[in-house]
Amino acid sequence: MKAIKKPKFIEVPFIGELALSGVRPILGIALGLLAGGVLIAVSGVNPFKAYKAMLQGAFGNRYAFSNVLVRSSPLLLGGIGVSLGIKAGVWNTGIEGYMYLGAVGAAVVGIPALGLPPVAHIILTLIVAMAFGAAWGLIPGYLRAYKGVNEVTSTIMLNYVAVFLTSWLVAEPQPLAEIGSFYPMSKLFQESAQLPILVRGTSLHPGAFIGLAVCVLLYFVLRYTPFGFRTRMLGFNPNAARYAGVNTRKQIMLLIIIGAMLGGLAGAIEVTGLKRRVYMNFVTGVGYESVAVALLAGGNPLGVIAAALFFSALKAGGATMSIQTNIGAPMTSVIIALCVIFVIGVGVSERRRLGKVQDNEKSEAVNEPKIKEEENVT
Amino acid sequence: MSLDMIVNWMQATLRWSVPLILVSTGEVFAERSGVINMGIEGIMLSGALCGIAVSFFTGGVFMAVLVTMALGAMMGLAVAFLTVSRRTNQVVTGLMINMLAMGGTNLLFALLSESRRTRVATFPVLFPQSMHNIPIIGPILFKQPISTWVALILPILSGIVLYKTTWGLNVRAVGDNPQSAATVGLSVIKIKYQTVVLSGIFAALGGCVLTLGEVGYFASGGMTAGRGFIVLAAVVVGGWDPFKTALACLVFGAADAAQLRFQAMGSVIPYQFLQMLPYLVTVIALTIMVEHSRVPKTWGAAYDRRDV
Repeated sequence: MKAIKKPKFIEVPFIGELALSGVRPILGIALGLLAGGVLIAVSGVNPFKAYKAMLQGAFGNRYAFSNVLVRSSPLLLGGIGVSLGIKAGVWNTGIEGYMYLGAVGAAVVGIPALGLPPVAHIILTLIVAMAFGAAWGLIPGYLRAYKGVNEVTSTIMLNYVAVFLTSWLVAEPQPLAEIGSFYPMSKLFQESAQLPILVRGTSLHPGAFIGLAVCVLLYFVLRYTPFGFRTRMLGFNPNAARYAGVNTRKQIMLLIIIGAMLGGLAGAIEVTGLKRRVYMNFVTGVGYESVAVALLAGGNPLGVIAAALFFSALKAGGATMSIQTNIGAPMTSVIIALCVIFVIGVGVSERRRLGKVQDNEKSEAVNEPKIKEEENVT
Repeated sequence: MSLDMIVNWMQATLRWSVPLILVSTGEVFAERSGVINMGIEGIMLSGALCGIAVSFFTGGVFMAVLVTMALGAMMGLAVAFLTVSRRTNQVVTGLMINMLAMGGTNLLFALLSESRRTRVATFPVLFPQSMHNIPIIGPILFKQPISTWVALILPILSGIVLYKTTWGLNVRAVGDNPQSAATVGLSVIKIKYQTVVLSGIFAALGGCVLTLGEVGYFASGGMTAGRGFIVLAAVVVGGWDPFKTALACLVFGAADAAQLRFQAMGSVIPYQFLQMLPYLVTVIALTIMVEHSRVPKTWGAAYDRRDV
């Protein structure tokens, strides 16, 4: 009983002290790569050769590395978006949906010729994209905060809705759609709305650097601002936060909406910087990958940078690996999932979630019956 | 809308609900014991591929079902090990199992290229041809593959197991108050393992039915299309009761069937909006019903024996 009563304030909710305890993520990643190697060997390819191809594909030359940076952009923004939620115990799994809405928002102002100078047009495009993402995030955010609808289910359902919405907008009778294309897609973005290519001959756009800047910014926001303090407080101890006068519902909704804004930004960067058009399925799997990034980072913005770069290196390298060997590119997502499973599975978690729940219930009964609604988020 | 179309729609409703009902059966038990198996989407996907592959290589539907159930049990065991023994977060574990299954099925399906889009042996229809021609109920009930009948009986069976047997009582006790359950000598860990493995088996079976009972082929890129999450919603909407959950599954199946019918009719509504229908219905149903649900007390919480 003693162990339960010991207050544990410095915890990431639902995850425990898992990540950032240094050894465990590294051990988990090593085990994940090892398990991936076994799978590669089983499919009849020398795993050393495969991983060597992967390394070359990620760091072999500056083109390869620029590829890693390009791929890291949605993971950085999506990862930090999910992390913000994790800080407060919210699983914002809708990054993919937000990205679609962001891309749609970008297309609405980025495809017509508005006669704006390039920088202004790009900024307008990104801002509208963020607004679209935020508006989409408002739905699961409101439902989670005020109705108690589980955010994982609602965001994943809304992801599908977002995909179909995008598919409708880029299909032919709509004004944004390319005329006479074989596959439904939008028209090209205006030159002035496209993100510049930083290094000639590569596809390196500023997306990764925007993502890095956002991560660093949010690191300071979480650490040094009242908003960040409220967020962390909510994560450490929701009851304490409530007694201290934090409007927890509003805070939860805000966190989901900010995550959605960042997702919208990621979607806009992807289409204005890389794809130059919007089409159905222009991103797949980034939603899950963002969760993986946020988890590996333990919700820490600086950890997000490391985790996003690691996974994007895996992805970029995986593409090369699938060309050089016979292993399909989906092997990368298998390896990423294995890494995270090992990271969370290695070492017995010392947390006592159950003890915590029951302590909460006791305090509820005594002090504030209202809390119960929030505990029973379904 | 003619009568014919309504009959056709109801028949399709039943067929599309079957995978959902099967998956939900296991999930109700897992969640009643306190574990949310969020990996059912991935397990379903794996079951879908496994069913089609075994059916393709051996030609036997029965064999396919057996192997699929074994695969589901193994994946359920993995989820149980992580969430119950290692006390990992149930959401993360499920999401990563889904990601693993998504990548894994895409990878394996590329290797099985020969079976691509090849229709394989599917579930047999139980009742003789003559009964199919009975007006209205003939096509709705008797023209259905055997899987539909299993899914129709299953909620009743699982209701009996959950409410009338000792094991069912144990499952509910473990979910609502593990300490008391442990105090009276139940092995909380063992029961949680049993229910989660059960949810794995049924999830894989549901995926297998999706391919073998309905379409007869596998499509790359996540052909379960969020059905696992729809089931998770159905369990909440159905208030963790097998029968009500099955009803919720029927509603979601009806939305699925309706959007397909409307598409075929060539309605004025763009087909993309019809495709959204099942997902929108799910979110709306969750929003309406969530306040009325009685949540198992330790839903989603990890159990540590030392807490007792």
